[in-house]
Amino acid sequence: MFPQNTTPRESFDRLQIAALVGLMFIGTAFVFSATMVSDEAAALPWYDQSWVRQIIWYALGFGVAAALCVVDYHTLARWSFVAYWAMIICLVAVLIPHIGSMRYGARRWIDLKFFQFQPSEFAKVAFVLAGANFLSRPPDELRQSHVFWQGIGLMMLPFVLILKEPDLGSALVLLPTGLVMMLVAGTPRRYLVKLIVGVGLLASVFVADLLFAPDGWRIPMEQYQRNRLLIYFGRDYTHFAPPHATPAELQRLRQRQLDDAYNVRQALISVGSGGLIGKGWRQGTQNALGYLPRAVAHNDFIFSVIAEEEGFVGSVIVIALYGVVLFTGLRIAGSARDRLGKLVAVGVVTLIFSHVFINIGMNIRIMPVTGVPLPLLSYGGSSVLCSLIAVGLMQNIHIHRRGY
Amino acid sequence: MLVFDELKKNEPHLRLVAVGLAVGLGILLLGLWWVQVVSSREYQAHLETQQFRTIRLPAVRGKILDREGRVLAENQPRYNVSLYLNDLHAPFDKAYGELLKSARAAQKQNIANAEKKLGRSLTKTERKQFAFKPEQLQTLRESARAVVAGNLVAQVGQKMSQPVTFDPVLFNRHYATRLALPFPVLKNLTPEQIARFEENYTNRLGVEVELQSVRSYPLGDTAAHLLGYLQHDDSSSEGEESFFNYRLPDFHGVVGVEYGFDDELRGRAGAESLQVNSQGYRQSENIWSQPEPGQNVVLTIDLDLQRAAEESIVKHHGADARAAVVVMDVRNGDVLAMASTPTINPLFFTGGLTPTEMQQEAARRADKKLRPEINRATQENYAPGSIFKVIIGLAALEAGLNPEKFYTVEPDPTRPGKGCVYIGRRKIDDTAPPGEYNFKRALERSSNSYFIQVGSQVAGADRIVALAEKFHLGENFDLPTRQETSGNLPSSERIHSGWSAGDTANICIGQGEVEVTPLQMAVVYSTIANGGTVFWPRLVSRIEPQDPTSRDAATNLPSMLVRDRIGVSGRSLRILHNAMLAETEDVEGTGKAAVVGPELRICGKTGTAQVTDEHNHVVDLTTWFASFAPYEKPHYAVVVMVESGTSGGGSCAPIAHDIYQTILDKEKAGGGKILAAAN
Repeated sequence: MFPQNTTPRESFDRLQIAALVGLMFIGTAFVFSATMVSDEAAALPWYDQSWVRQIIWYALGFGVAAALCVVDYHTLARWSFVAYWAMIICLVAVLIPHIGSMRYGARRWIDLKFFQFQPSEFAKVAFVLAGANFLSRPPDELRQSHVFWQGIGLMMLPFVLILKEPDLGSALVLLPTGLVMMLVAGTPRRYLVKLIVGVGLLASVFVADLLFAPDGWRIPMEQYQRNRLLIYFGRDYTHFAPPHATPAELQRLRQRQLDDAYNVRQALISVGSGGLIGKGWRQGTQNALGYLPRAVAHNDFIFSVIAEEEGFVGSVIVIALYGVVLFTGLRIAGSARDRLGKLVAVGVVTLIFSHVFINIGMNIRIMPVTGVPLPLLSYGGSSVLCSLIAVGLMQNIHIHRRGY
Repeated sequence: MLVFDELKKNEPHLRLVAVGLAVGLGILLLGLWWVQVVSSREYQAHLETQQFRTIRLPAVRGKILDREGRVLAENQPRYNVSLYLNDLHAPFDKAYGELLKSARAAQKQNIANAEKKLGRSLTKTERKQFAFKPEQLQTLRESARAVVAGNLVAQVGQKMSQPVTFDPVLFNRHYATRLALPFPVLKNLTPEQIARFEENYTNRLGVEVELQSVRSYPLGDTAAHLLGYLQHDDSSSEGEESFFNYRLPDFHGVVGVEYGFDDELRGRAGAESLQVNSQGYRQSENIWSQPEPGQNVVLTIDLDLQRAAEESIVKHHGADARAAVVVMDVRNGDVLAMASTPTINPLFFTGGLTPTEMQQEAARRADKKLRPEINRATQENYAPGSIFKVIIGLAALEAGLNPEKFYTVEPDPTRPGKGCVYIGRRKIDDTAPPGEYNFKRALERSSNSYFIQVGSQVAGADRIVALAEKFHLGENFDLPTRQETSGNLPSSERIHSGWSAGDTANICIGQGEVEVTPLQMAVVYSTIANGGTVFWPRLVSRIEPQDPTSRDAATNLPSMLVRDRIGVSGRSLRILHNAMLAETEDVEGTGKAAVVGPELRICGKTGTAQVTDEHNHVVDLTTWFASFAPYEKPHYAVVVMVESGTSGGGSCAPIAHDIYQTILDKEKAGGGKILAAAN
């Protein structure tokens, strides 16, 4: 008789967890470094300091993730549409003045006093779960066009709502996530090709409009968004000057361009001046002197703080840690018990990857500036919580993997 | 290895995803390698000099010139000795290092003392009490800077052998807010001081003479009201860049020509960008738009006449006389002189005075009676008194008055030797004696009775008001100086509702509901002199570029702008001219004091208006002399007004005399064009 395998199978993917802990350690250290430079921040009581709060969020997130692992992901998936629609309601609510609070010209938060709840973060996770649940039906059904369009609808609804906030970055990460999940689910290639061509066409029309359209033909958009994109595409503001602009007016436009490109320039200078080995923890001058705006240094631009202080070596470590998280994620997808598990894991992996790519990319100017947090490193409760919920889902799939 | 395991997966979809991830992360690594390793030098250099500060550079303000190009307002260089903080970076750091060292030593000593007292070494938490707080370090830094700067300032004082004050608080504020700009130590140096500084102070670090341009009025109070004054105002004009980190001092006109032509005078401010390094010190500078200098404004004023008028007022009535003079070219409406006293020193508003002078000026400004701020030539309503009788006379002559007809002035029973006239039961005093008066005698003796009779009976209120409206009394000129009132004239509706014979009688002697400004009367007398054309008064003849070699053309402001024609016959005007000539030349004339000689015969009219309080008691007199000359071919109108004078002939005519004398001298020197016309 073959001995029954009696060892408990509830084991986590330890390598992934180690990488996550590494990231959280770096996150704490550099939120500390980025915020403690200002005397006001340093004078706060310890429990009000950002890095302490970040640790609390990590702990909370870990707790939630662990709790999620107790329940089989199939049970969770059954509730996924409830979560999805709840998030859609929140996304609608956040657009309503008095419910959604306005910061930096965007309505992205619901103020819960102790917590600035950002529905778009949670919506991303809910979308992954609901999308995976939807796509996990037999591949034959996916060939039917109405199922395909339903899937598209599932993706476009939160996309449009988040775009409306406006939060271009968060909306954009939904597209590759949905696309990759559809690919892995086995949606026929012709649909995907059509979809990619369609999205590509739309995107090129959008970019062409942005860069070349005359007045009156331009897509309505907040001026700062347009400016960010213009900066990204290296377009001169002077191109948009009235035809008889005087040299002084052109000069003024150039100066404004310089001002608007400020964050990007400062981030690039931070990253670049870090060099190979960096200036050392808490030695970065860009952040300390306030050239990197204090409001963003510890969240959206945390990577430039890390890169300045720890150099290329630090950047490689960060990317390697993400690499471990992402590839262990793929391994989990490969060993998942069923299509649902595989799709959830692939969705989470793509989601995290999109965040990492867009966020680090904007620090080195290969992506435009959009407010996308760097998972687990950027300061912020919603982002940390959601990132940990997402990896919790992956661990859940790992625990309940094939052969269990 | 993990990555390759995934890349080799036999599930094609997952393999594709894995390839995608690997490529994506690879791109990021490659990008980071490029930025952080390959081009890192470039970015480190950026760190050093990467910040811009923009500075607004005010343009050189245009000059204000008289009609012959003589300067009334210009700009003067002002020299300041300033600390250039960029050069002091190293000394600041050094001083801070030393202060920190001694502070550390003191800290150590304190810890040692505490340990001695307790008889044991301190625990970590106890040691913390002795640690430096950020505020302490900041204070140390500030005092280090103050010490360095204070020493330098003291050194400057020593070299210039004069005490210089240094305020550390002010200095540190400047350091915090305007680091890239020099800190002024000594302001307003004289040429001797500059020479001493340059000579004695050769090896100087961070101390330099700095040049500033300030407004100056080389003739002091001359035409002060007309020129107006400036106030400190660095804000950006319409259509100018609105954001600057720093603004150098600039000024805006508040009243007068400085206000009315501010846009032209001011030019266009330029902008300079400073590059500062990561500590905020200046590294390099680049003027990306040069300031465009303002344009010169050429007035119609003739400086000689202007000064003659002002000096004459002071000569006859003292420095605190409240008086105004307007001289106008009757042929085109050009204002040749516009004087108003008392004045305020224009430097009062731009800070060019000593503290005691400032106090004196402030006291004068507050004086309710002097009111030096108002331009009495255009900004105050006065009863015209008898000088208004020329309008009554013209209206009556046009209505068919026979100038030779005699009217009887009754003797005043209470004032022997004086006449009077009764309007209903009201008796109006006359300064002229009782007797028979025709037009000429009535004008030269300024008989109230005569003019009330002919005004009420021959002309009537309607005709008087209609004629006065032709002169545009009671209306603004829309002067560019922001110093104007419109005077008063009853409207034609007003004289038909609740209007009494007494009201008409009042108007006939230039009292009651008619009020004028000296400039308005100058226009009236110019019109009478030139045959009936009402010109718009002109103050500025042209605007020209400051640089005479500039290719920009000067702009001439339109001259001889006709506002109206009074439509009065030449015969009536001739009768009036003759009567006005008699006023200055006849034995009985009241304006004889104005006469300058047969080369320049003057037609004039004196006036003494009563200023009454709310109980109708006479509290003051406004005296006038209004005139034009030469009689044969009128060219100049001169209107003189003196508040609290004794009589028009006594208080005002002598001032007119001085002005006509100046005109005569000028004409003689200039070839005597008028004299030729006169002969």
